[in-house]
Amino acid sequence: MVLFLLYPFLDVLRFSTWDWSGLSEPKPVGLQNYRDILTDPDFGRSLLTTLGLALLTLPPFIVLSVLLALALDGQRYERAIKALLFLPGLVTLGGASVAWYTLFSPEYGALASLIPIPRWDQEVFWALVLIALFTLWRHMGYGVLVVSARLKGIPRTLLEAAAVDGASPAEAFRYITLPLLRPAITFLVVIGTVLSLQSYSAVFLLTRGGPFGGTRVLGYYLYETGFENFRLGYAAAVTVVILLLTLFFALAQARLLRGGEHE
Amino acid sequence: MIRHLFVFTVAFLVGLPFLWMAYAAFIPPERVFAGEFFSLQFSLANFAVLSRGVFWEGFWGRLLFSVLLSGSVTLLQLFTAFLAAYAIREGARLLPFFLVMLAIPAELLLVPLYGLLQGLGILDTVWALVLPFAASPFIVYLLYQGMKTVPAELLEAARLDGAGNRVILSAILLPLLRPQLIAAGVLSFAAHWNLVLYPRIVAGSEQLKTVQTWITDLQRQNPADWGPLSAAALAATLPLIVIYLIYERRIVETFEEGLKG
Repeated sequence: MVLFLLYPFLDVLRFSTWDWSGLSEPKPVGLQNYRDILTDPDFGRSLLTTLGLALLTLPPFIVLSVLLALALDGQRYERAIKALLFLPGLVTLGGASVAWYTLFSPEYGALASLIPIPRWDQEVFWALVLIALFTLWRHMGYGVLVVSARLKGIPRTLLEAAAVDGASPAEAFRYITLPLLRPAITFLVVIGTVLSLQSYSAVFLLTRGGPFGGTRVLGYYLYETGFENFRLGYAAAVTVVILLLTLFFALAQARLLRGGEHE
Repeated sequence: MIRHLFVFTVAFLVGLPFLWMAYAAFIPPERVFAGEFFSLQFSLANFAVLSRGVFWEGFWGRLLFSVLLSGSVTLLQLFTAFLAAYAIREGARLLPFFLVMLAIPAELLLVPLYGLLQGLGILDTVWALVLPFAASPFIVYLLYQGMKTVPAELLEAARLDGAGNRVILSAILLPLLRPQLIAAGVLSFAAHWNLVLYPRIVAGSEQLKTVQTWITDLQRQNPADWGPLSAAALAATLPLIVIYLIYERRIVETFEEGLKG
């Protein structure tokens, strides 16, 4: 267990100081790979792409999760809908991407014959939107579950007391429900950031980094350098940087969001 | 009213790709090429295409292979996670370690794993698809959450009556944790089933292709041939949907319980 989980961590540090193609004899080059990353325009670009994608995905993810959890709470169809929302996260990625591709592809797609579909194969912005939608589709059920689990922990009597004291539903939400949902939202923001820093499956399956490298997120960049251009040493260094970034963002956000909570 | 409308709009949009997947699998090939998707004619021709060729290298062989592979990985994961969760409950200070691992998916560790597997000489063998997934921090966490709810008195009483660790695990915790085990099992099955890049890189040969790899290969070779693609997508998705629907209540509940803790 330790071998396969912990060992790779140490190993990746070792690899990252090599000039290595996977087949050739590794050649130690010290910190050269890291120096290259700092000056690599492709790396900088894919970092920006990743952050852009995260900005495009996270806010709707959080807002929709909260709204849906609220709207579903206590409804007769709550369970059925939750089950449906959770489903996309489980089904075969390959299958899901086939369905999305045939449904949304511009020009020849099934939907394109009914409504105009933006040219996401040519315009970077729409390609990012497509990836963001796919990601939302897959993970929203999880977000709803997280919020709704927290929602169920809020005592009814609290809201009833507020109503007796003359608070409108909107006020009750703003001053009671929302603050109490805070831990769940914090959790979602952190998890969401971590996932979006590492996401690449959607890119790999739907756009392959295109158009013009516009959706080449860090994870995909990692795959390209490592296993298409066979620069494994460099890819290892990229892995280390992604891990560090993940750690940094997760900690910073957790601290920031918790800092607002006066306990 | 707006509330219902909102919920059902979202539900419809989420369900749409599934409906389309089920529908597209049965569109006759000639209709696809003519661009007439909604002619309401159905055929099984797409499934016939999937059955062509050598069984083990074709779709159904790959599907069977993937079911067996992910199934074994799931059993292995449940076994190791069950023991690990018990160890943590009994005081082994490993939980923080697992929580850190939780944030890092195995696929991000492609490069070091590749090096490790190469060093062990098991690259492009079935072991490459199994060993790195022998233990999942997520499953450990889920089972640990479940075990926390088992009262300590119960285990103590059993111990006083002379039960060893093995008896406690198999006769007390195993039946009590059935719901969590089922939920964890379905999730770990889905997680392994859904690996995309990893199997392609560490085990690319014909006999080791997972059904995912098979579909993505087909998609790349024949992006316009939607019929067979959709049929393959449906057939590869259906097993998971069925398992999920059977245990849906357990899974959602276990999740909500685990998240509360």
